Amino acid sequence: MGTISSALNMMSQTLDADQSALNIVANNVANANTPGYTKETPTWQENDPILIKGTLVGDGATQTGAESQRDRVLLERLDQQQQLASASGSRLTALDSIQALFTPDSGSTSSTAGDIGSDITGFFKSFSSLEADPTDSSLRTSVLSSASTLANDVSSAAKSLNEQRSGLDQDAIGVVSQVNALTGAIAQLNTQIQSISPNADAGTLEDQRQLDLSQLSQLIGINQVSTENNGLSITTTSGQLLVSNGSNYQITSGSVSGVTHFFVGSADATAQLASGGGSLGGDLTARDTDIPNTLASLDQLAYSITTKTNAQNNAGTDANGATGAAVTSSTTGAWTLDIFSPPPTLVANTASGDTDVSGCAAAMSAVMTDPDLVTAASLGQGTGDNSNAIAMASLASQTIVNGQTPTNFYSNFVSTLGSTVSNVQTENTAQTASVTQLQTQSNALSSVNLNDEAAALTTMERSYQAASQMFAILNTVMASVLNLGEQATVT
Amino acid sequence: MRVDPTYLSSLTTSLDQTQSSLQQLTSELSSGVRVTSLSTDPVASGQNVLLLNQMQQDDSFTQSSSLVKGQLQVADSALGSVVSQLTQVITLATSANNGTMNSSNVKSISSQIAGILGEITTLANTSYQGQYIFAGGQTSTAPFSTSTATSPAVTTYSGDENINYLQMPNGGKIQLNVPGDQIFQGSGSNSVFAALNSLVADYASGAVNTTQAVADTNAVSTALNYVSQQRVTIDNSITHLTSATDAVASEQTQLTAAQTTLMQADYASVSTQLTLAETQQTALESVIAQLGSTSNSLFSKI
Repeated sequence: MGTISSALNMMSQTLDADQSALNIVANNVANANTPGYTKETPTWQENDPILIKGTLVGDGATQTGAESQRDRVLLERLDQQQQLASASGSRLTALDSIQALFTPDSGSTSSTAGDIGSDITGFFKSFSSLEADPTDSSLRTSVLSSASTLANDVSSAAKSLNEQRSGLDQDAIGVVSQVNALTGAIAQLNTQIQSISPNADAGTLEDQRQLDLSQLSQLIGINQVSTENNGLSITTTSGQLLVSNGSNYQITSGSVSGVTHFFVGSADATAQLASGGGSLGGDLTARDTDIPNTLASLDQLAYSITTKTNAQNNAGTDANGATGAAVTSSTTGAWTLDIFSPPPTLVANTASGDTDVSGCAAAMSAVMTDPDLVTAASLGQGTGDNSNAIAMASLASQTIVNGQTPTNFYSNFVSTLGSTVSNVQTENTAQTASVTQLQTQSNALSSVNLNDEAAALTTMERSYQAASQMFAILNTVMASVLNLGEQATVT
Repeated sequence: MRVDPTYLSSLTTSLDQTQSSLQQLTSELSSGVRVTSLSTDPVASGQNVLLLNQMQQDDSFTQSSSLVKGQLQVADSALGSVVSQLTQVITLATSANNGTMNSSNVKSISSQIAGILGEITTLANTSYQGQYIFAGGQTSTAPFSTSTATSPAVTTYSGDENINYLQMPNGGKIQLNVPGDQIFQGSGSNSVFAALNSLVADYASGAVNTTQAVADTNAVSTALNYVSQQRVTIDNSITHLTSATDAVASEQTQLTAAQTTLMQADYASVSTQLTLAETQQTALESVIAQLGSTSNSLFSKI
């Protein structure tokens, strides 16, 4: 049979346990807004009962510590989704600034400035106008001014794209240095966790590690592998090792033909990182895919318009009666009556048979300054002839750019770009929604709910009060026992 | 049941979204433009490029046509004057040919016809905005000059046979000029200048070789008819141009309507969406105010 003193002992233990539990509740409330903090709940254990004369007598309860409310599978899922969402998010940001260069023309005259589609039309339209009066110098001047508007808009769009590209390059370098800092921190936490808590959840340290992981997931695509003694290995999605227990491996960057490439160890991992996820993946996809694609279209457009109109202008007779002639035999060289500066020296791609036109858009510029050099007349005709102007104007309806008319080519180009942006937008919306859902699930489990804490506080308080009351009653009982019926010797 | 205790921050995210859609709708209303970036409607953006291209081509044709219309009308009225001058020549020649005039009267007719010849040469050298309109492609120099070194005098054409066209947006062509030699120096008896120069020579001495003079007078009337025929080409171009301009103008109206439908905001639906978004914002704000109030916390009750 248990004794009163053992009951008193049990109550004092209970008071200790309740205090410790109240401490956990207080810690939860204190950290309600701490990023990465995981709600802790007190764990209770029934003390071993004592067998006295064949009867099991309870021996109270002990508070055995706090348990972090964490679902590792859910957290890993959240991290993975976060990687996808931030990849599409940063790609979307880049695409938004690309498409801002090609804002649709609403059709009112005030907004036509800067729209390449209108510039193309305007350029060929100026030749149509010249048909009406081939010797009119104001019409000739407007040919040159529309040519320089077109060239300026194309080249400034190409230059902006190149600037955005180097901006993304810088971004990516910044992201990689953050990644390196985080993997270093995780490696350190791994060491601490493995030495302090090899077999159980490491509480606050684990919170730190999860917070670092979720930050890392916004930056780069990773795989997590749990190792022995509560350790953690991290690889990129394509398998390059970033963290192995206590050691981390830096991602280094280096310039490869003017573009920053990233290396894990000695292997060039740029392409894998681009498809891997995280904002690094988004930046690299925009840098290595979206911007080059856009530039390639502009280059093709600039190259075709430049070479075709130069050739046609050189095939006619200008207002002074002079005809165009090649001053060099090469097809890329300058002719005497060039409207646009000839494209930079081109390299024929022997494999595909295509000409590499890269750089044509950025280099596009109108070189003709004398309006009399525009050739409205055909070869050998008088200056009043307009048949070369008709031929120039009709280039607009010929399939001179990759088998399409210049306007159709530009129209397809903007549609394609718009669709890409719109697709990435949809993708990003879906991924963000899924991140929100997972975050909600994870918060429901791991966040500090103040109402819960209030309830827990009240419960613990009551339990503490009950134990104190119990103690007081036992004390009275003990006094009665000590007095053995005598009056008021001990109270 | 578990709940996400951070529901207030997700409500704030919703509030942000509502605000951004309010902003988008307001900017649509104020600018009247629906497609503000390519991704809003990629297909419409592509179509827009094509529609604008066509509209601007139409616009350019309308401008060009008013320019060339002036030139065609000048050509037409010059030829009109030529016809009436030639009619006068025939009257003069007929009176000289009837044999009742004395030698000095015949001489005076010769010099009158020479005067008219000069006038017709001037008309044949008509220029429009500094360009000789009957010179083919050689519009910078006067196409006709008369050399009096021989008798009869010889008028030569220094222009060429070039014909200019104006291309219509639909690909058709309108002829803009008729080379001067085709009008004034038709082959055989169709040449105005040859006939006139002969007549001047016929009457220059005061003695009329009636057979020759009558033949030359007949040549002038043949040439007159020929000039009238050539004038028809110019008239046809004017008619063609007028109808083409009308057609293009109506096409442009349709294109503008199509482009407006494609790109412009539909005010009724934007206003409706705006009202909905406003309602949603108000609702969200009051929900946040309610839930965010501290009296909702259990801590305030204990």
